[in-house]
Amino acid sequence: MLTETELAEAYTATCHAVTAAGDKSQLYLARLALLLMQELGDPKRIDAAIQQAALTH
Amino acid sequence: MHEYFHYTHYPYQPVALANRADPRHHAVTIVGGGPIGLTLALGLARQGVKSVVIEPRDCVSFGSRATCISRRSMEIFAATGVAERILVEGLNWTSGTSYYRDKPIYRLQMPMDEKQRFYPMVNMEQCLLEQCILDQVLTMSDMIELRWNSKVTAVVHDEQGAQLTLESPQGNYALNTDYVVACDGARGVVRQALGLKFTGTQYEGTYIIVDIHLKSDYPTERRAWFDPPSNPGATILMHKQPRDIWRVDYQLRDDEDAAQAVKPEQVLPRVKAHLDWIGETGVWDPVWISSYKANCLTLEKYNHGRVLFAGDAAHLVPIFGVRGLNSGIDDSFNLAWKLAYVVKGIAAPTLLDTYSEERVYAARQNIAAGAKSTEMMAPPSAGFTLMREAALSLAAEMPMGESSFAALVNPRQTSAITYVESRLNSASSDAIAPRALLGAVLPEHPWKSVSGGVSSGSHLSEALGSGFTIVVFAAHAPTLDTMPAPTTVLALGARTSVPALYDFFAVEEGATIVLRPDAHVLAKFAQCDCARIRAAIQSALA
Repeated sequence: MLTETELAEAYTATCHAVTAAGDKSQLYLARLALLLMQELGDPKRIDAAIQQAALTH
Repeated sequence: MHEYFHYTHYPYQPVALANRADPRHHAVTIVGGGPIGLTLALGLARQGVKSVVIEPRDCVSFGSRATCISRRSMEIFAATGVAERILVEGLNWTSGTSYYRDKPIYRLQMPMDEKQRFYPMVNMEQCLLEQCILDQVLTMSDMIELRWNSKVTAVVHDEQGAQLTLESPQGNYALNTDYVVACDGARGVVRQALGLKFTGTQYEGTYIIVDIHLKSDYPTERRAWFDPPSNPGATILMHKQPRDIWRVDYQLRDDEDAAQAVKPEQVLPRVKAHLDWIGETGVWDPVWISSYKANCLTLEKYNHGRVLFAGDAAHLVPIFGVRGLNSGIDDSFNLAWKLAYVVKGIAAPTLLDTYSEERVYAARQNIAAGAKSTEMMAPPSAGFTLMREAALSLAAEMPMGESSFAALVNPRQTSAITYVESRLNSASSDAIAPRALLGAVLPEHPWKSVSGGVSSGSHLSEALGSGFTIVVFAAHAPTLDTMPAPTTVLALGARTSVPALYDFFAVEEGATIVLRPDAHVLAKFAQCDCARIRAAIQSALA
């Protein structure tokens, strides 16, 4: 688990990167998701995250 | 509009002039009679140094402005004789709630326990706070001279001192002083006169700040709403203040014109929509409307020869986390003893370099924390807006307290700064009394004098002197040789009489903590060694 500070730092870095990607921000976030999946390396947890991220409304 | 505060107007007192100049020579002249300048004047008076305060107005500042007073500021106000007046009306608080749409997602709990003398926050409108400080200043007219209706129009300075040109009801005149402290705010004339520029970041997002008069029993806490149903897309903050005044802040959309948006016809429907939605049904009216943009700006250094800077004149930090007024109060208390000791010849002028070093360090800490809060409260670009919606929506899908994303909205309320790298910190081991870090403010703990006689109050901070305090964990104050600066020796008692204190600080009998006049830890020793204590104080002054 990330500490509160580590999460806040990763969050801010991602915000800057999304802004920098401009109109390609969707592509940037998809690439980020793929890289993090590979790093996580756990199919069950990846599947759970995919379900949890669904926009249900 | 509801009048919740009566402004007393103070008359201009004519100054004896000779050849369009004040013939008296002043040690310290403070430009700006706001909360920072007046607290500095009280801090100097506490050290026995007189000052003149130059203020263009003839009363305290208009409106509520800063509303949250930190525990550290309260400690400073206690040391300068103002805290009791604040606590008559100030509203103590410790917690808050953040909402995404209609769901609570984050509970703010500021540090509070039975050891504390003050709450982590006290709410009070700035005009009331300034009046509390001013009322104390007015009792000290032998030490502090207030010149109302007087404006600085020019500043020249050299190695010996400074000359100010003042515009007053008596016309323009010159004032000579050894030191000038600019406490004249964000648009201060002294900074401009010296041609100094802020560096840092200015944010674009505009907030509207509205104070309303409303009787409500809702407790004092911080409430923040992201994208509430009452104002879709907006971020709204609410704080309770004394005299039935409520602060409502909300962010404008990027496409809104701030000049139009402060007009009551624009503001009131939004406030009404929100009050209706949260169930506040009482009669209300607006008392003050203003607008605000977040800034993270500072001067590179706060001492320029005989001219020093404090508060908003030195740095601007975002309102989120309430570091504006509070960091300025900290500036003034850090500066007061240093400037007083330099003026009195107790310390070398280089001590003022440590004011700049410590408070620039503090400003950078405050800016870093304030910038983080601002990223959530006023997302500075598209990436921040998108990521915030992602984080808040994920947090809202979990019960409150269970999503780690909720903590991203932690407002990071101000807390006392530790001068970790200060060159005043004396080489001594942090293994002694590990809670009392070198460069940090001494932690608070209940304590009563056990020797009888004069009451020492009920907390450690009440027993500290106005000079250096040598805190000794022992039954009796040891006899110490003459020290190079005013010192108070405080013997806390034997372990058997105050075991909780020994346990809290994790010390054995004889342990000694040397505090600076601003209650920051200067040195720590396992035994009360007079030579080492003197060396630590001497090195701070050299």
